[in-house]
Amino acid sequence: MCEITKEQVFEATATVIDPEVGFNLREMGLIYDAIINESCNITVVMTLSTRGCPLHQMIKTWVQEAVEKIDGVGIVDVEVVWEPEWNISMADDNVKEALAGGTPQL
Amino acid sequence: MLAISKDFAPPLKLISPFFKVGSGFYLLAMMSLLAFDATFSYQEFSIAGWIHLYLLGFVMIIIFGAMAQLIPVVLEVGHAVVDLYYVILPLLGMGTVIMVGGFWINPVLLTYGGLLVLISMIIFAFEALVTLKKAERKSLTVKTILVSNSYLLLGILTGFTIALGFSGAISVDTDSLIKAHVYAVLGGFVLLTIMGLSLTLIPMFSLAHGFDETPIKKGFNIISLGVGAVFIGALLGENLVQILGYLITMVGVVLYLYQIYIIYELTVRKEMDIWAKSLMFAFASLIISLFLGAIYLLGMNSNWLHASIWFYMIGFIGFVINGHLFKIVPFLIWFERFAPLVGKEPVPMFGQMYPKDKAEMLFWFSSFGTVLGGIALLIENDFMFKSSASLLFVGAIFLYLAMSNMLAYGKE
Repeated sequence: MCEITKEQVFEATATVIDPEVGFNLREMGLIYDAIINESCNITVVMTLSTRGCPLHQMIKTWVQEAVEKIDGVGIVDVEVVWEPEWNISMADDNVKEALAGGTPQL
Repeated sequence: MLAISKDFAPPLKLISPFFKVGSGFYLLAMMSLLAFDATFSYQEFSIAGWIHLYLLGFVMIIIFGAMAQLIPVVLEVGHAVVDLYYVILPLLGMGTVIMVGGFWINPVLLTYGGLLVLISMIIFAFEALVTLKKAERKSLTVKTILVSNSYLLLGILTGFTIALGFSGAISVDTDSLIKAHVYAVLGGFVLLTIMGLSLTLIPMFSLAHGFDETPIKKGFNIISLGVGAVFIGALLGENLVQILGYLITMVGVVLYLYQIYIIYELTVRKEMDIWAKSLMFAFASLIISLFLGAIYLLGMNSNWLHASIWFYMIGFIGFVINGHLFKIVPFLIWFERFAPLVGKEPVPMFGQMYPKDKAEMLFWFSSFGTVLGGIALLIENDFMFKSSASLLFVGAIFLYLAMSNMLAYGKE
């Protein structure tokens, strides 16, 4: 039985920052799900804020590397999906407020 | 659920020279404006020389450099033959210098410069069209690139024919060809390319989602038709067809502006950085250009047309390009120099990688210069025009310095 929780996976993805907006992927609401099987193999289901993002492949690798740091993890796979399409309502309140207020995240 | 995977970024050493050279040509173009007066005819060789310096040296070189990076982004496929971009820049750069020399010094040079420009653009259009064939997702942006590149080919073929005519190699009706050439390039290629890219880039940077694309789709079809009508009308000498083409194009531009308004309403990211400010000014300039152009068509003198083209070229095209440089160049530098360090040491955000003071100076000097220049052309005031050129020149110095800073960021 695998003891890794979804929350741990989400926490791990919070270490990955989008260099354009300056927020981490979890607070942006870009991480949709984490599917964990009995062998602790994990599939992170996520999206990006825009289709055709030039950092697409790189962000996938960062997420994979971040989740691989969890103790006891097996094989990590990252699946990028476009449905449902990301929108700002999926982000945390601090992200919404900062973006709406025009505050640069530097 | 639909999943895709890709990584098609071309190397920095291929793209960065386009931006360095392009901003250098912008500096030269703004400096040479100091030699011009507010009263002129568009058929003067000195004016044609300046327009080619600005459009080929700055606009085209930057667009080609940007397209090297953005085509994979918007098409979601890799370039067919990305190494061709190593050939495009020297050919286009040298061709521009020789062509401008042809206009300003000796018309014989026009053919040689024109041939180099022609070859560089055919290579660009060929590479873009072959890459387009690989694209699985036929979005509006894909269609705009297809149509705009087709107009580019028509534009450069008519341009080269004009060059042969000016140099005395053949005898042609240059007046009608000039109109067809200008409209195919400025309306067909530049405007449609900006429209297509803006549909991808503006929502990407502003985080606007879920908007209706109907206005820009209609606008794209209408502008394509309008440019075609002006092109054919000019070649056939049919004034009525040309005027119809101008009016149709204007309707298309209004729809494009409406689309931008829709995206703006849904914009999540309200930060007024140099990109946002530049786009605000650019679209305000496009509205002014449209207004001045409409008044010209109602029968006013050519000053209104000159001011309209000024706001379109310097205010709209110039600010759209310069604003995006502060997004595109930091990304390129970051991708090359900092991406490998992610997770190992702190890395900068894109917004930290451009000099904000120089960007602000560029914006304010250039925006005041653009407005002043437009007024000067309208009232034919030479002193005001020289003042405008001075402001734009100072702005261009700041662009060049900012570009140098950005390209050197994080360089060991």
